[in-house]
Amino acid sequence: MRPTLCPVVQVRELCAGVFSLWLEAPEIARRVRPGQFLNVKVSSGPDPLLRRPISVCDVERSRVRLVVRVVGRGTALLGRVRAGDELDVLGPLGRPAPELHHKDVLLCGGGIGTAPLLFFGRRLKRANRLQVLLGARTKAELLLVREFRALGARVALATDDGSAGHGGMVTELAEAALPDRGRRGQVRSPKSRVLGQRVGRRPVVFACGPRPMLADLVKRLDPIPVWGFVEERMGCGTGICYCCALPKKGGGHVRFCEEGPVVRLNEVLL
Amino acid sequence: MNSQVFIGQTAFVNLVLAASGTFEFGLKFPSVANRLGGVVTKAITLQPRIGNPPPRICEFPGGILNSVGLENPGVEQFCTDVVPRTAKLKCRVVVNIAGFTLDEYGELAARLDSEPVDGLEVNVSCPNVREGGALFGQQPRVVEAITALVRKRTTKTVIVKLTANFVDPVETAKAAEAAGADGVTLINTLFGLALDEDGRPFLGGRTGGVSGPALKPFALFCVDRVAAAVKIPIIGCGGVMDAADALDFLSAGARMVQVGTANLVNPEAALDVWAGLKQYAQENRLSNWQQVVGRARRRS
Repeated sequence: MRPTLCPVVQVRELCAGVFSLWLEAPEIARRVRPGQFLNVKVSSGPDPLLRRPISVCDVERSRVRLVVRVVGRGTALLGRVRAGDELDVLGPLGRPAPELHHKDVLLCGGGIGTAPLLFFGRRLKRANRLQVLLGARTKAELLLVREFRALGARVALATDDGSAGHGGMVTELAEAALPDRGRRGQVRSPKSRVLGQRVGRRPVVFACGPRPMLADLVKRLDPIPVWGFVEERMGCGTGICYCCALPKKGGGHVRFCEEGPVVRLNEVLL
Repeated sequence: MNSQVFIGQTAFVNLVLAASGTFEFGLKFPSVANRLGGVVTKAITLQPRIGNPPPRICEFPGGILNSVGLENPGVEQFCTDVVPRTAKLKCRVVVNIAGFTLDEYGELAARLDSEPVDGLEVNVSCPNVREGGALFGQQPRVVEAITALVRKRTTKTVIVKLTANFVDPVETAKAAEAAGADGVTLINTLFGLALDEDGRPFLGGRTGGVSGPALKPFALFCVDRVAAAVKIPIIGCGGVMDAADALDFLSAGARMVQVGTANLVNPEAALDVWAGLKQYAQENRLSNWQQVVGRARRRS
């Protein structure tokens, strides 16, 4: 697997410090599956040395979209990329998320964690009923709301400051959406407003966001399994260095460039 | 040009190896491994190890620190699950072994002797474990004892991977040579500490091993010194990012090079190093690599 140089065709700042980059990357666009990521070199030289793993946010024909939040030196360099530049990327990497056929799906994203969920929503089969819950600190920081709505999904919003949607945490919306979980995670309540309209049908929950959010979500939805993306420092992204370890409940580690990045959050220590 | 190199009785088709811990077991990228001289596996210990808690890696301008802590399935599972697959690789497979006692090195060597692997790289230099590791490698007498024991328990090629942490590798290299090592690898990562903005150790294992470009001048210095002191072949390691770096190691006296950290950035980095070396040989009409090996000393 060789890194490829991909022309950047469009850059847009979605909100302060969050950038959307469209890359011309036909090979990646053809192969990438929801859950996978690209490992992006942010400088041409040895500093910073390592690539930055960025989940694929969307694919359109031969183009791949990445949405990046500036958190450190590496992502700050990515934020300076302009249309016409080339990015050195390796991928697609990571294990594709489980395929979802004829299942109800709940996507729950917080902040920049919203980005990879869009590609999930895009690839769901028609039979899937999709609900999307998006959270952020403020209305201005809610990402990709228009794109999710365009998928035909029911979209509910939550902001910490109440400037849009529910004033509070997105995990509260998730809990409200799945009111009666029963002992074995079955959604049994016919009163459920948004999902599980058919008694006994259990939605699949995918989440991405900051760790405290994910931990809170797992706790609130227990025992419903939650699939999610976890961020951790990564070395290679290809499974050769054993650096992106996440402790498993009951011992051992999950390497999420290899076994993830989408893992069953119930099985790891967040 | 024939680029075959012998370390002990083992012939390597070219002089580039993937360094231990940076290329898994060569199985993730077999098409890369197959075109290298060989792959040195992740370190294997007698018992399985879950490794250090995260974070296990961080960067600094010039390289990285890692503290994986020898996560591996243990020698038994390695022999049942991994070796049958590495045996299908077309390159040489050298198993890096790490013990926590002298006896463990002997047991590891004996267990692997009947397996279809090409050699052992005796790890007396891991910086990320509390006992053994680099502590063994700091004492020439211990290096000698471990090497002698491994030598006694295996018929395979024995390479000793030395540390340069608080020790003159000339002394430990001589000790390894005296005890029957077929070659030495110089150097493993150097001890390092990274702190977060609040002054807390950043890595889950508290300290780590420094690798990458920043290591190269010191690694070259070590290879140059040791090359003047031992006759067994030296495998140069430490910050080889491209063919020019590899050439420096050869000039300093290394017979082969290992590519490590660069694999994390580009899984085909070691192949690129080899392609660059071949190109250099062609452009400079080399008839064999011995024209380059050790020339730094001839030219000073």
